[in-house]
Amino acid sequence: MIAHKLFVGVSVAAVCAASLSAQAPSPKARPYVTSKTPWGDPDLQGTYTNKDESGIPFERPSQFTGKTNADVDDEELKELIAERAKAAVQRAPGIGGADTGAGPTHWYENYGAKNSRAWLVVDPADGTIPPATAEANARNAERARQRAGHGPADSPEDRSLYDRCITRGIPGSMMPAIYGNSYEIVQSPGWVAIRYEMVHETRLIPLDARPHVKSRIQTYMGDARGHFEGNTLVVETTNFKAASTYRGASEQLKLIERFKPIGPKAVEWSVTLDDPHTWPRPWTFAMNLTKDSSQSIFEYGCHEGNYGLRDILSAERAADKTSRGGAEDVKP
Amino acid sequence: MRRGLLAVGAVFVAAGVLVAAQQAAPYRAPRGPDGKANLNGIWQALNEGDWDIEGHSAAPGRVMALGAEDAVVPGVGIVEGGPLPYLPAAAAKKKANYEKRLTADPAIKCYLPGVPRAMYLPQPFQIIQSQKHIMMAFQYAGAIRTIYMDEHTPAPADSWMGWSNGHWEGDTLVVDTTGFNDLSWFDRAGNFHSDELHVVERITPASPDHLNYEATIDDKKVFSRPWKMSMTLYRRKEKGARLLEFRCVEFVEDLIYGGLRKK
Repeated sequence: MIAHKLFVGVSVAAVCAASLSAQAPSPKARPYVTSKTPWGDPDLQGTYTNKDESGIPFERPSQFTGKTNADVDDEELKELIAERAKAAVQRAPGIGGADTGAGPTHWYENYGAKNSRAWLVVDPADGTIPPATAEANARNAERARQRAGHGPADSPEDRSLYDRCITRGIPGSMMPAIYGNSYEIVQSPGWVAIRYEMVHETRLIPLDARPHVKSRIQTYMGDARGHFEGNTLVVETTNFKAASTYRGASEQLKLIERFKPIGPKAVEWSVTLDDPHTWPRPWTFAMNLTKDSSQSIFEYGCHEGNYGLRDILSAERAADKTSRGGAEDVKP
Repeated sequence: MRRGLLAVGAVFVAAGVLVAAQQAAPYRAPRGPDGKANLNGIWQALNEGDWDIEGHSAAPGRVMALGAEDAVVPGVGIVEGGPLPYLPAAAAKKKANYEKRLTADPAIKCYLPGVPRAMYLPQPFQIIQSQKHIMMAFQYAGAIRTIYMDEHTPAPADSWMGWSNGHWEGDTLVVDTTGFNDLSWFDRAGNFHSDELHVVERITPASPDHLNYEATIDDKKVFSRPWKMSMTLYRRKEKGARLLEFRCVEFVEDLIYGGLRKK
C-alpha cells in the first residue's frame, strides 16, 4: 500500500514536470535529449497534435504589455485558457452542433484547448508582427485591385485554396484548425517525412544539403531542406508559389522551421518568416506539438468530397437569378 | 535450316538455365539500419497497366483533339493469367465503365487513385521506411499511404487508399490493405472493385534498383476468385530525381464546376 502511494506520488510529480516542460522553457531548464534512431539521428517520429494550441492569438494581448510569454504566470495562463474556452463554446453554434448541418460539437477538436502560451510571436520580443513594407502593401493592393468587381464566388478561383481543397500551404498546414490537427513524422536515413491530415499533405524533407530546385520550379508547399542542430530539426523552405505564401509574403519567402523536442511528448515548433520584400526584418512564432498515438491520421479526401465548393457556387448562381428577377427558378 | 533451329534451341536452353540460376540464388538486398531489407527510395512502374491492367493493343484515345498523345499505349498486361474472373453482373458493369470512361474514370477528376493503381500510375512515388511506420508518398494528387508495421488495427472507416497493415517475410514486405470505398478504378479501361476489396501486396527487392511487386486482389462482390497482378518497380536514378507537386485539383475545376461559373 505504501509502495502504491509512493508510486502515485512519483507519477503526479512526473505529470507536473511534463506539463511544466511543455510550457515556454525557462533558461535554467536542462535541455531535453531525445532518443536516437538506429542510424543516429534524433528520433522525432510519432503522431502529434496541436489541437491544444487552438485559439492562441498571434500577437501579444495588450494586457501583457512589457511582458514576454515566460513572464506570464500559471494563474494568468489558466484564466486566459478559461476565457478562450468560453469564447470557443459561444462560437460553437456557428460551426457545428446547432442547425448548420456541420455535425455535433464533439466532432470538433478546438474546444477545451489547453494552450501552452498566451500568444505566438516570440520574435520581435514585443510579440507583434513587424509592419509590412511599402513594397508588400503595393503588391497586396494590386492583388486586391485585380480581384475588385468579382463576387464572392463567381468561379472557383474566387474562393481560397483551402475552400478548393488545393492546399493550406506552409505553415498553414500546421496551424490548429477546428478538426484534422494530426501530424505524423516518419524518418529514414537522410529523410524526414511529415504527413498532415487536413486536406492531405506530405512533405518529404532531404537532410543531405542538396541545393534547392531551380527557381522556375515553384510549389504550393515549397521546396524543403532539413538538417539537425543538436536535437532540433531545422527545415528551410523556399520556391513558393505566390498564391500560397503565408500572410501575403512574396514568392521570395524563406521559411525556417525548428522542431525542438522539449519533453518526451512535446516538440516546440517555431517558424521564422524571412522575406525582405514583405517585412523589414524576419519574425518568428512558436507553439507546441504534443505526441498522441491515439490520434492516428485518417485519410482526408478533401477534393473528393468537396460538396462545400459546389454548393457555394450553385448558391451564388441561384442568387444571381434572384437578383435578375428570376426568383421562380430558385427552390428553397 | 536445321542448324538454325538447333541454334535457336540452344538459346532457349541457355535462357532456361539462366532463369533457373536466378531462382536458385535469390537476391539479398542491402540492409536498412534496422536489419530489414532497405526499400527506401523513389520508385516508378514502367508499364502500361494504367491504360488497361489486362493485355491490350494500341487504340485510339478518348479525346479526338489530343490525337496520338491520348492514344492507348499497347501493353502485355500486368494481370497474371486472365481473363479477369468477373462475376456476370460485374462483367456488365466493367463494360459499361469502359463505354463511359471519358467521364467516369475517377482519375480524370483528380480523385485519389486507390490501391493498387497508385503503384503503377505513370508518376513516381517515394518510400520512407521506418521500423514502426512505412510511408508511401505518391506524386499524383499528393496521395499517401501509411503502412502500420507495429500495431495492426482494422480500418476505422472506408477510404480511397484503404488502411494498410504490414509485416516482413524475409526480405519481402507484405502489406495487407482493407477498408476501401467502391469509388476507385484499377485503370482507365474501367476495371473496378467494390468496398469488399482486399489487397495483399508483396514487395521484394530484386536488385539494388528493382523491386518485384505482386498484388493479390480479392473482392467477392466483383470477382469469382482472387487474382494476381505483378510487375517490376524501377528506382528513379537520375541526378536530382525527386517528387514534385502534381496537384491536379485546379486542372479539373472547370471540368467539375465549369457549369457553375458566373456567365
